[in-house]
Parts: sequence; structure tokens; C-alpha cells
Amino acid sequence: MTYQMTSMVIGLVLAATILWLVRRDHLHGPYAVWWIGAAATVMVLGFFPSIFDRLGAYLGVSYPPMLAMVLGFALLLIKILTMDLERSRQERQIRRLAQRLAMLEARKPLDSDGPDDRTQSPAP
Amino acid sequence: MGAIVREVRRHWGYPVVVIDDCSTDDTAEVAYAAGATLLSLPLQLGAWGALQTGLRYAERNGYRLAVTLDADGQHEPTQIGTLLAPLLAGQANVVIGAFPSRASSARRLAWRYFRWLTGLGLEDITSGFRAYDERAIRLLASREATLLDYQDVGVLLTLHRHGLRVIEKPVTMQPRLQGVSRVFKSWWTVGNYMLQTSLLCLARIGHGRARDRRTHSEASGWN
Repeated sequence: MTYQMTSMVIGLVLAATILWLVRRDHLHGPYAVWWIGAAATVMVLGFFPSIFDRLGAYLGVSYPPMLAMVLGFALLLIKILTMDLERSRQERQIRRLAQRLAMLEARKPLDSDGPDDRTQSPAP
Repeated sequence: MGAIVREVRRHWGYPVVVIDDCSTDDTAEVAYAAGATLLSLPLQLGAWGALQTGLRYAERNGYRLAVTLDADGQHEPTQIGTLLAPLLAGQANVVIGAFPSRASSARRLAWRYFRWLTGLGLEDITSGFRAYDERAIRLLASREATLLDYQDVGVLLTLHRHGLRVIEKPVTMQPRLQGVSRVFKSWWTVGNYMLQTSLLCLARIGHGRARDRRTHSEASGWN
């Protein structure tokens, strides 16, 4: 087995998995776009691993695999950061939804003779 | 819990709202039976998330002021008047009932640290015994204040940034009848809290008093 075959197999398996997940509707729209892009990149790089050798030489990187590592790592960091941004946005929405639900399901006291029944605010 | 609700109703006659942040015992039912409006949260949101629910309820129902009390019996309903007086006189947007001597020395050290970090001249920043006016209710019920986790530093900084006046009034407090402080529970929680709050302070440096146009224009119409 050559080095190119190994990278081809890895690229194909990854791309197939991602495509399958998108097809099965397990990935929501915007994420699917990112992952299809990732799948395509992995495929291309798997079939032509020498791209990095040429790119490395062009950018003056003496050990091209390191370039692949650094770029991959940077992309992962960006992805994780955007995930946390998204999670924070969702957390805000979830909290507000939970509060809204609590307000909608408010249980007013039963006794109507109490002072609680005032609908007007306690005016100063 | 029931005693607090009854006492507030007896002394003040204001509507009492109790927020049930997924409590596991029958506290919520007791409060409801005592004549409070009950807001039950479907998810546990923590101290500030629960408080904000109350403030959003106040905003939605057009209340012009809101007073918050802890449910553990620390705060005396009879002292609500102390908090309301400066609010009604237009001296402040938020009044905090302060009782600094209740704190342990470790807690006081933490407060001093946050005073230094935030530049806020307040003694008892963690006190949950507060009165809010209409402007403060509207600001704190907004989306902007939703991602805060504790009612103290983050909330105070938000108020400060929008140019709202926060003052303190000394009150006396009861020792907690039930429950323990959520923040000062274990060293891990304390560390986490200190770190998060410090980060919040540092992130807000330079935010200054950049009033947004919305609250500013409303401020001019406020009397």
C-alpha cells in the first residue's frame, strides 16, 4: 500500500460519512454546507496529497506535513469558536423561552378578595 | 416561605410573585397557597434567570416598580419601605438593601476585590433585597441582560453602562432561615464564580457609560 492509497481511503471514508449524514438529514442546513466543503477538501487532499508539498514549497515551509497540521488545527479552532458562539446564542433563546413559558403559565392566586387582585401597578 | 408571602401582602398589599426555579419540594405550592402568583420555570435557570423572569413579568404587566426578596427569609418585608422611599423620590433607579456586616471576612474580601475591579462604590453587591424602578425593570428584562448568571456584578455593570443610578440603603437582615448561599457553597463554586465575574469585569473595561439612544431618550421623559 502506498502513502497515496492510505490518504485516499481516509478521504473517501470521511467524505462518504459526511455525505451520508447530510443525506439522512442529521445535519442542519448551514452546518451541512460547512461539512460538505470539508468533505470535498478531504477528498481532494486524499487523492492528491502532493498538493501540500507544492504549497509548502511555495510558502517556504520546509516540512510540508506541518503546514497541513497547522492549517487543519486553525480551521478546527475557528469551527469550535463559532460553535460556542452559536451555543451562547441558543442559551439566550432557551432562557427567554423558558421565562416566557413560565409567564404564560402563571398561576394567579385563587382568592379574589385579597389585595393581590389589583391589576393596576402600585402607583407611587 | 408562606410566612414571607403573607407578610408582604399584609404590610404592602402589592401583588406578590414567586418564581419556582424547579424546586423539588412543595415550596412553590406553599407560596401559591399563601396568595402569591406562581411562575414555574420549565428549566432550571439559576438565580438571575429566575429573577429576570419576575422582572419580565413585571414589565409585561406594566408594574412601575418591583422589589425582590430572597425566599429564604433573610429579608424583612417590613423594610421594603426603606428601599422604596429613594425610588419614589426619584433619587435612584435601583435601591439595594445593604447589610454588609452579615458577611464573613472572606466574603467581604471578595466584595472589596470586585469593588476595586469594577469601580462601583457599593458595599453589599450580592444583596438580593432590591427595588427597581420602571427603567431598571425594562433594561434588566431585556435580551441584553439574559446571559448574565448572577445578579450582582454583571447586573450592576449593565445598569451602570446605561446610566442608571444605583444606591444602597442600610437594612437589617435575618439570619437565613433556610438554605445556604448559592454562591458561597464550595471552594470550587467560589473559584468558578470569582473567575467568571472577573472575566466579565475585564471584558467590560472601556465599555464605560456608553448610553444607548433608546434608554437615553426615554430618560428624558422620565420623572
